[in-house]
Amino acid sequence: MPLIETSNLSVAYGTPARPVLTNIDLNIEEGEFVCLLGQTGCGKSTLLKLILGAEMPSSGRIRIDGVERKQPDRTRGYVPQKYSLFPDKTVLGNITFGPEVSEFNLFTRLTPRYFRRRRQFREDALGYIRRIGLHERDAHKYPHQLSGGMQQRVAIAQALATKPRILLMDEAFSALDPGTRKDMQRLIRQLWRDTGITLLFVTHNTQEALSLGSRVIVLAKETPDSGAHIAMDIPVPEPCHEHQIPTLVHHLEHASGSARAPEVAVLATA
Amino acid sequence: MSFGFQLVHARPSRASTLLLSWLLFSLGIGLYFYASQKRHRENPEDRVMPTVSQMFHGMSDASVKPAEDDDAVLPENASLRQKFFASMLWKDTLATSRRFIFSVALLIPAVLLGLHMGLFPYVGVVFLRFVLFFDKIVALSLLPILFIAFGIDELSKIMLIVIGVTPTIILDTFNLTKGVPSEQVVKAFTLGANDFDVAYRVVMRQIAPRVLNSIRLNLKAVMLFLFAGEMIASTDGLAYRIALLRRHMGMDVIIPYVLWVALLLFLVDFAMRLVNRKLHPWFQEA
Repeated sequence: MPLIETSNLSVAYGTPARPVLTNIDLNIEEGEFVCLLGQTGCGKSTLLKLILGAEMPSSGRIRIDGVERKQPDRTRGYVPQKYSLFPDKTVLGNITFGPEVSEFNLFTRLTPRYFRRRRQFREDALGYIRRIGLHERDAHKYPHQLSGGMQQRVAIAQALATKPRILLMDEAFSALDPGTRKDMQRLIRQLWRDTGITLLFVTHNTQEALSLGSRVIVLAKETPDSGAHIAMDIPVPEPCHEHQIPTLVHHLEHASGSARAPEVAVLATA
Repeated sequence: MSFGFQLVHARPSRASTLLLSWLLFSLGIGLYFYASQKRHRENPEDRVMPTVSQMFHGMSDASVKPAEDDDAVLPENASLRQKFFASMLWKDTLATSRRFIFSVALLIPAVLLGLHMGLFPYVGVVFLRFVLFFDKIVALSLLPILFIAFGIDELSKIMLIVIGVTPTIILDTFNLTKGVPSEQVVKAFTLGANDFDVAYRVVMRQIAPRVLNSIRLNLKAVMLFLFAGEMIASTDGLAYRIALLRRHMGMDVIIPYVLWVALLLFLVDFAMRLVNRKLHPWFQEA
């Protein structure tokens, strides 16, 4: 059974209804690193939000591990591009927030057991802080005191702290400068290998999609008024050699720019 | 076109900032004393613009002597402290402060209502229209109704403030709650938070400094309604005294009282600003 399964998924906004996505059938297996690629406004973020449970489809269903889920919960971690950290909490507070609220509600937080557990949460959080390449002295800084790259590192640690099976990242590195972006790509690749987590990564950058994912899905619209569909779905050869990337980029950009892609087979053997 | 000096790009030096920012104060004080002196030369009995010594006398009397309508009896050899705590100024300040604190405390439920309206759609649906309607009612026009319904004691005065100020606070909190990026709420849910964790540990904490600032801005409105209530129906309080002294043209006490109220309000506002900064070190004032 696929970990994420969408069947016949369609979304339309407004009146008269303007289709955004039409008939998306997508199966994602446990442990895949799927990059969702497409031009601006093609509905890739919408698809991510549907899987996240933050938006509802007009028709069709989404099953996470066989179960339909109507709102965001612990099964799917989330790293958005902006506002990814709680501004009122320190780095440590941001990372321990997940484990804390998962185990304790507003009332059980008053019990002595909470204070004992909190020490453990903090130690775990410091472990994560080291793992994402931050210093322990950064633990008590507030998000506004960190650079954009550091903030996204903390956001990833925060999402991983509750050990979700799925991590959804929405243009998570798009606001970063190229150098930082490369570092972040290396980090997320490493974390994916280490944890075996299932990743869905939305990006508009073809190069990024190819260097990150184990599978690239291209969303495209046939006409400007129609909803987007899956134009391409290719496994990325592992390891993807640097010299192959330019050709792949060319093919993919061709696909997301125009209609269907007959060259899927060609690429799969490339 | 150039004026030969910069307007937008002007950079006042420290000295000129200090000097210019106190200019209007000194001008106002100076003009008052000039006019007051002039009037007193023409008519030594003038009551409209009392001199400094008259105001000082008025205030020192007010802060050691009980009010005329107060039948508290002090022993002959009462200490200055005892005298102060039985004095008109102290008792008036106490009465007004009590009402003020009650009213501000009643804003807390208003904040919570606004939060829930913004976060839980059903609560919003039930309350939003009603609060919007309520917000448009001119609270002072309700005063007679309140006096009839609740009598002329404390309750009606506090109700006046509640009716006058809470809709603003509710709607402001509602808008602030709506302004929290949806990513934050979604993120909290993906981390295992439940609805109430999101309400109190994520959204409330984020809007708290802005809510406090909004309450600070509305302190003026609270005082306005409080004074209206006190002036019309009360037997104590700072505004009651001001209204009472007007009958005797007691400007020597009215003017210091007005300044005293302004000072108190300034101090409350300043304290709230300090508390806000201490409680929310992460908050970046926009």
